[in-house]
Amino acid sequence: MQGGLSGWTSVDLFDNPVSRVLMARSLWVGAALRCLRVTPGGALRKAGKRLWHAAKRAFVGGLFVAAITVVCHRLNANFAVASLLYLLVVVAQSLAGDFLPALCVSLGAVGCLDYFFTDPLYTFTVARAVDVVSLFSFAATAMVITELVLRARAEAQSARRDRERWERLYQLSQGLLPMKPQALRQMKFLDLFLGVFGSTAICLFDADTAEVHTVGTPRGALQERTRDAYVSGRDADDPESAVSVRRLQVAGRARGAIGFESLEDPKLTSGPLAILAAALIERTRALRDASEAAAAAQAEVYRSAILDALAHEFKTPLATILAAAGGLPEAGSLNAEQLEMAEIVEAEASRLGNLTSRLLRMARLDREDVRPRLEAFDLTAILAQLVEQQARRSTDHRLHFVRGPIPLEVRADPELLRLAISQLLENACKYSQPGSTVNILTEEGAGGVAIRVSNNGSSIALADQQRIFERFYRGVDAGRVAPGSGLGLFVARKIAAAHGGTLELEGQEQGDNPVTFRFTIPVRKVEGECVATTSTKTNSATN
Amino acid sequence: MSPQPVQKPTVQPISVLVVDDEFALRKALHKSLAAGGFTVEEASNGEEALLFAQRRPFDLVLLDINMPGLGGVEACRRLREMAPQTGIVMVTVRDAENDKVEALEAGADDYVTKPFRLRELTARLRAVLRRTRTSDAPRPAVLTAGDLEMDVERRLLRRGGQPVHLAPREFDLLAFMMRNQDVPLTHARLLRSVWGPEYGNELEYLRSYVKMLRRKIERDSSKPEYILTEPWVGYRFRNPSDPEAPPPSVEDT
Repeated sequence: MQGGLSGWTSVDLFDNPVSRVLMARSLWVGAALRCLRVTPGGALRKAGKRLWHAAKRAFVGGLFVAAITVVCHRLNANFAVASLLYLLVVVAQSLAGDFLPALCVSLGAVGCLDYFFTDPLYTFTVARAVDVVSLFSFAATAMVITELVLRARAEAQSARRDRERWERLYQLSQGLLPMKPQALRQMKFLDLFLGVFGSTAICLFDADTAEVHTVGTPRGALQERTRDAYVSGRDADDPESAVSVRRLQVAGRARGAIGFESLEDPKLTSGPLAILAAALIERTRALRDASEAAAAAQAEVYRSAILDALAHEFKTPLATILAAAGGLPEAGSLNAEQLEMAEIVEAEASRLGNLTSRLLRMARLDREDVRPRLEAFDLTAILAQLVEQQARRSTDHRLHFVRGPIPLEVRADPELLRLAISQLLENACKYSQPGSTVNILTEEGAGGVAIRVSNNGSSIALADQQRIFERFYRGVDAGRVAPGSGLGLFVARKIAAAHGGTLELEGQEQGDNPVTFRFTIPVRKVEGECVATTSTKTNSATN
Repeated sequence: MSPQPVQKPTVQPISVLVVDDEFALRKALHKSLAAGGFTVEEASNGEEALLFAQRRPFDLVLLDINMPGLGGVEACRRLREMAPQTGIVMVTVRDAENDKVEALEAGADDYVTKPFRLRELTARLRAVLRRTRTSDAPRPAVLTAGDLEMDVERRLLRRGGQPVHLAPREFDLLAFMMRNQDVPLTHARLLRSVWGPEYGNELEYLRSYVKMLRRKIERDSSKPEYILTEPWVGYRFRNPSDPEAPPPSVEDT
């Protein structure tokens, strides 16, 4: 487990048992004292209880020592027999209880040996040196036995506890593995963590979403501490409030933090739990990314497909309407009014047809790579045509075209360029007040040719500025102002990029500055170049 | 093709076979074209169209490119083999330039893009008819269009009475275009016909010649009146002084 999940070097659930025994022993008085300081009432009661238990054990052991003394004394047993029997009691005492009662029983046994079985009898004095040695060796043997038995017991206990922890962790991971993506995304896995190793509340901070998820009922400021640990980049353990926080790291990168309340032995248990949580949070993130990407891609495919299908489906009915409306005047016997109406039907159906064609072309350019078929032509002439066309269409705008050099030879795909520029011209008219002026001018620079289209419309909201080139994005107010598919600028930029050029919104400040779009095409050498087959893929992320 | 009295002063009724799988469109075209003086028959797919064409010759066939079964392009190819004198106009959708080129290469004379105005359709139909009816007539020694006058025999071109010097290949290209007025000519066809059968893909080559020609014959080469570009398909030579010439197929962008 430790090898499998890297990044955790301080995890040692399975410490050396001997050192743990010693530590535990040296701790218990200290712990009692600490408890006294922390919560005097409860800790006192606890310490008193433990002392009472030790006293009871020592009392029972004392009874056995007394019984052996009486029996041996009656039977006139010698020192050797009595000391062996006493040792039995010490062993039993060590097996049953703690160090303190065993010590008491040992001392009691030494006293009895001295009093009843060592000359001079019935005194606590020792006459011969060899008896002193005997008594000392008894005491030493008793202590060593006590120590060994206690150590064996502690080791067994520690192994049991370790096994239990393993099992608990295993159970937990068993519960986590089959979790459904939906449940994972809702951080339901925290519920399974609750209660493991005695935790009463758990808080998880997901740095990716900056969300805090909490289960259980935290007593202290668990959420704040968890977030703090992530922010400060340091794990935290606070025995006083029984809170321990671990950072969640995946492949060396911090992904968040998890905080536990009332966790048993937090130094040992919080590590593995944090590893599990980190793995889950990473899985959740991957799931979230994958599903978001899939949903976005799917949505775009649907939109494009729907546009395409609609445009295609519209064409034949429109052709039918046009054929029928066009035939009406031919059929004769219409009066002037009827003729006019037939003409209106035809003209409007034709307009609808043009719109449909454009939409279809946009949808197609959106979906596919733009493959410009380059040829050299005079940009000024084409711009003049486009401006004229747009001026015919939007009679309530003045279009002012500042002609650059004539001819202004560029090498590009004229059809695609027409499409992109006419989109800019149309936008400029659509998003400005009737009666205002739209300015078009060209600039020839070292890098290429720039076409600038500007209107005096309301400035584009800052939030929109970055997004207007995204496909299907329409400004917040766009729906109210003018109709559109949200494809125009995206496709225009794609066309620019396919030519190696750019389409940008020029720096805009607050106020009534003109909104200017700048379309650039790099200069290309005319000689020795065939039809370009380079296809440029652009996406909405490249701004 | 006996002359019969109709509302319009058409000397000869023009027989048109409308082939489309869409019932409503077929009907609308039938009625409208009939009102315009054409005699119309309907076929709902390519196979049926071939049967009808076998039974009797048509002056024109209006053929939808997207049809189930045989399909428009294949039907066009077979019709062309069957009846070389029939004018074939394809009904296409925009953004299907490859289909258009394919159809023109398969022998179609022209195409209209859905949705189209009836006026545009009839103009194209008549232009195609004019071309097919004159193609079996002896070639005139002098071709004219607008203020252009071309003496094919003596290889001379005059514009407004003034001689214009053309390189031999330019002359051939222009002569071919002037003989095939008002119909779209694919890049490949122009290259094959003027340069030779081994040509067909040299687009840049063709473009530079067209550019030179435009400089010599157009008033404003950026707004050509004679040699029009058919986007992604080829070129179309138009006679600006011909009132019946169909409008250029370049629609508003």
